[in-house]
Amino acid sequence: MNKLEAKNVNVFYGAIKPNTVTAFIGPSGCGKSTFLRLFNRMNDYIDVFRMNGIISIDGKDIYDKNIRVEELRKQIGMVFQKPNPFPKSIYENVVYGLRIQGIKDKKILDETVETALQQAALWEEVKDKLKDSALALSGGQQQRLCIARTLAVQPTVILMDEPASALDPISTAKIEDLIYKLKSKYTIVIVTHNMQQAGRISDKTAFFYMGEMVEFDDTKIIFTNPKQERTLNYVTGRFG
Amino acid sequence: MNSSQKNRLKDNAFKYFGIGCTLFGLLMLAIFLGNILIEGIGRIDWGFITSFPSRNPGKAGILPALIGTLWIMGLTAIIAIPLGISAGIYLEEYGKKNRLANILEINISNLAGVPSIIYGLLGLEIFGRIMGMGGSLLAGASTLSLLILPIIIVSTREALKAVPTSIKEASFAMGASKWQTVWYQLLPASFGGIVTGVILALSRAIGETAPLIVIGALAYVPFVPSSPADEFSVLPIQIFNWIGRPQKGFAINAASAIIILLLVTFILNGFAMFLRNRWQRKVKW
Repeated sequence: MNKLEAKNVNVFYGAIKPNTVTAFIGPSGCGKSTFLRLFNRMNDYIDVFRMNGIISIDGKDIYDKNIRVEELRKQIGMVFQKPNPFPKSIYENVVYGLRIQGIKDKKILDETVETALQQAALWEEVKDKLKDSALALSGGQQQRLCIARTLAVQPTVILMDEPASALDPISTAKIEDLIYKLKSKYTIVIVTHNMQQAGRISDKTAFFYMGEMVEFDDTKIIFTNPKQERTLNYVTGRFG
Repeated sequence: MNSSQKNRLKDNAFKYFGIGCTLFGLLMLAIFLGNILIEGIGRIDWGFITSFPSRNPGKAGILPALIGTLWIMGLTAIIAIPLGISAGIYLEEYGKKNRLANILEINISNLAGVPSIIYGLLGLEIFGRIMGMGGSLLAGASTLSLLILPIIIVSTREALKAVPTSIKEASFAMGASKWQTVWYQLLPASFGGIVTGVILALSRAIGETAPLIVIGALAYVPFVPSSPADEFSVLPIQIFNWIGRPQKGFAINAASAIIILLLVTFILNGFAMFLRNRWQRKVKW
């Protein structure tokens, strides 16, 4: 069974297997972020938004009328381009997803905070200051906190919209390490404009250009032997 | 003179002009305050605050008007704050952003500029006559609530708009519903702005005279109102009434009452500033 599927969404036919990292690459404004946001229905807030085609998770159409968007988003987490922790303590950031589900048991909350922060490789750095404001952390730490916050609700898919583009190289390396480790438990889709990054961390790569998906294949093939000339031109740096 | 010297001269000229403009307003306010203080401060004592109005200026006091003002403020706050904030939240977060919303938005802003006496006529007709409230505190507070609703709605929307979209998206992406996002993220983050708007609106309500006169607030009230159904007077009406009297003593009384009214307003504003600062230390971007 495919984890995520997209059919008829513009010209793209493809499927994303569980426990893989899929990268979306392409020049700015080519629609890769918009495409990513289809998977957790974040485009619903755009008043003129309209979609044809079918996107499904575990075989279920996520744009079906009977789908509860809130439930869907617990299953499909998202990490944004700019770290966006809530203006609350580190602890409260991690447990936010549990709190809105009505979980109050302190033991569960405490355990979740420790597990999620450990999974996000942030625990050692913040374990003594969980009550401090999340905004006091560095950019890279904030981004890992946002990842921890997403992991805390135990999604199966994580969407990442250029998660490292606002970070320095060291923080970026940490995030990439993290993505590599998370792959064993989660299905990850990442938008990046950094081709080296796509090459380093992804199993599959999709190349977008001018609102279309041009090619979708194994990352190795996309970077060494793509079928489309536009893809070849882009990955070899001839345009974009 | 070359052009860089000319630019510097213009720059300096505007700077001093600006200082002059700023001082002009401040100076006028200082003269007014000084005048009122000199005239009225001597008359303020416990007796002035706890006495009823009287034909004898030396014995007259502001008790019913002061209590009336506090009643009106409280009732107006109870009516207008939940209505205004809820409407603001709906328009900003729930309502679709289409043509109709645009028309609504323009009209709400326009309503904020409608002369207050017109609200008085509206209140007289709807609350006083149709709903049978007469010249009661409730009718007055309802009328003033209408008057300040647009201010509260607009400032609530502005405060919500100022919360970064990234926070909203983060909350939605975690599976929060719209209401949870409003309650856990947007309201706490915009609290300072909303409180400021509410207090400004209430300060305006405190000073209003015309609409209350229209709905039938009394100039002479020989009792302290004890329920929302009672008739009432408020400080601005008392001041207005005293200023119209020929005796010098009443002019002094009016100055003293103005000091008390200003004091109430300042306390309210100070409270707002206190709340805002306390909150801003908790929420910073």
